[in-house]
Amino acid sequence: MTHNNRFFLMLFSTLFLASPDADAGVSLHAAGSTTVLPIVSEAASAYHKAHPDITITVSGGGSGVGIASMIQGTAEIGMASRDTTPEEQAQLDNRADGKVDNMVIARDAVAVVVSKAVYLGGITHLSLAQIADIYRGKVSNWKQLGGPDAKILAIDKEASRGTRHVFAEAVLGSSHARAPGASLITGSNNEEQAIVARSDQAIGMLSNAWLNDRVRGIAVDVNGQSIKPTIAHIRDGSYPISRGLHVLLPRHAAPEVRDFVHFLLSVDGQAIVKKAGYLPVR
Amino acid sequence: MLKPGLGLAILLMLLAAVAVPVFLLQASIPFWQAAGISSIWSSEWYPYEQLYGLLPAIIGTSWAILISLAIAIPCSVAAAIAASEMLPPMLAEKARIGMEVLAGIPSIVYGLIGLWVLLPLLQSSLDLLTGHSLLAAGLMLALMILPTIMLMTMDALQQVPADQREAGLSLGLDWTAQLTRILLPAAWPGIRSGILLSLGRALGETMAVMLVVGSMDRLPQPVYNILQPAQTLTSRIGREIGEAAFGSIHFSSLMAAGLMLAIMGLSISLLANKRP
Repeated sequence: MTHNNRFFLMLFSTLFLASPDADAGVSLHAAGSTTVLPIVSEAASAYHKAHPDITITVSGGGSGVGIASMIQGTAEIGMASRDTTPEEQAQLDNRADGKVDNMVIARDAVAVVVSKAVYLGGITHLSLAQIADIYRGKVSNWKQLGGPDAKILAIDKEASRGTRHVFAEAVLGSSHARAPGASLITGSNNEEQAIVARSDQAIGMLSNAWLNDRVRGIAVDVNGQSIKPTIAHIRDGSYPISRGLHVLLPRHAAPEVRDFVHFLLSVDGQAIVKKAGYLPVR
Repeated sequence: MLKPGLGLAILLMLLAAVAVPVFLLQASIPFWQAAGISSIWSSEWYPYEQLYGLLPAIIGTSWAILISLAIAIPCSVAAAIAASEMLPPMLAEKARIGMEVLAGIPSIVYGLIGLWVLLPLLQSSLDLLTGHSLLAAGLMLALMILPTIMLMTMDALQQVPADQREAGLSLGLDWTAQLTRILLPAAWPGIRSGILLSLGRALGETMAVMLVVGSMDRLPQPVYNILQPAQTLTSRIGREIGEAAFGSIHFSSLMAAGLMLAIMGLSISLLANKRP
């Protein structure tokens, strides 16, 4: 099944879960990274089946939103696809209702993705320096890199997105580095995936679980070797842009919230991680 | 009992009309103190480097509004004239229902239509890198405000008193003169309110614009280039409000963007309400 279909299925399932149940059960809210969202969303419906009185609504927004929701107490569970910044961590530590625990529930790679036409045109691997040149605006045509004669559509992400942080840190040196070569800014994984799929000349950054036939992940050259963004290469640590997927949980969270997070780390929860295309941590 | 109640209602209205700008002003004060008034005409927006230039978004919003009005006003007024003056009443009624349906469609639906239909169309027909552009935003907005202007214009035309029409006929005016000398001047106040109402919608529209404008915080190069990805005030707020920590300068800067929107809307309506 394509990721797109699965996304909409999950969206609808969360909408369904969001509808107020007749008997007042417990309703929890998880918000943040759209990279972590497929896991938590799938787990939420599995958990709801086992515990019908507990409904969990899941919404996106990006890692920045997930962390901010913990700081401001607007959600029970935060999702983030990057580490917290020192400023965010300070705010999390100084929260009025106690500290927030940060747990890694899965690992994934930030794949450098290109449109199918670019991939078939010969761009199957690039070095980090070449990718940086694209995002710095020093290279503007795929021909300069040995690909088809087409202008490069470099897609950047909103500054709050975890994928952007991890990608920019690995490629441009700092998580908030400017990218003057970018010609478009997108938000969720879904939005970016759709644009890359529609274009014939795009490059972007996506979690490895969001690749498909029209959105191809290219290999990154490390010490003369081309490393593909596969689960195996995340596991052995050879792929250079990988990261942990986090769930944030307030230390004074209700037992139901705590139990759900334990479910994510259980055998069943980790099976969902694997099914979503990420690397389980247990 | 009725009169005090109505007085209370108008009081609440006035309170809301004053409270919203005051709130925006108050929430954006930290930003004006930190970044200064000069951020209105500076063009670099990098919140993480404490650079908050509002100019690209202000220009983007202005362009989007201009394009949408330039397309929507002539089209919708012409369509309204055709519907209410030329079509038989039964067909005119059908046109009205169609427009009412269009006016009721949520903006996210327009945004998705724009994303999947308009952008590829612009990209291939104008040979662009991507269809995301101010032109796309303007076209989306034009489609969204067209029904409002058309409906208001149709109403205004139909409410022109019959004796005025008869007076025109008895003077022997032909159809064109009847339209330009009698109907349109008499209907103008209604048309104007339609334009102002829809202007408000176009200024504040976030979702549909956010999906098609490209969200690039750069000045158009050159400034009249409406075919590049750009940014509007609403799309800036929509993209960043979630991550901006409450009470931070970043949050305050987004409130300032909201204040700019309010000022733009207010000044346009004041200008439009000036009696000639």
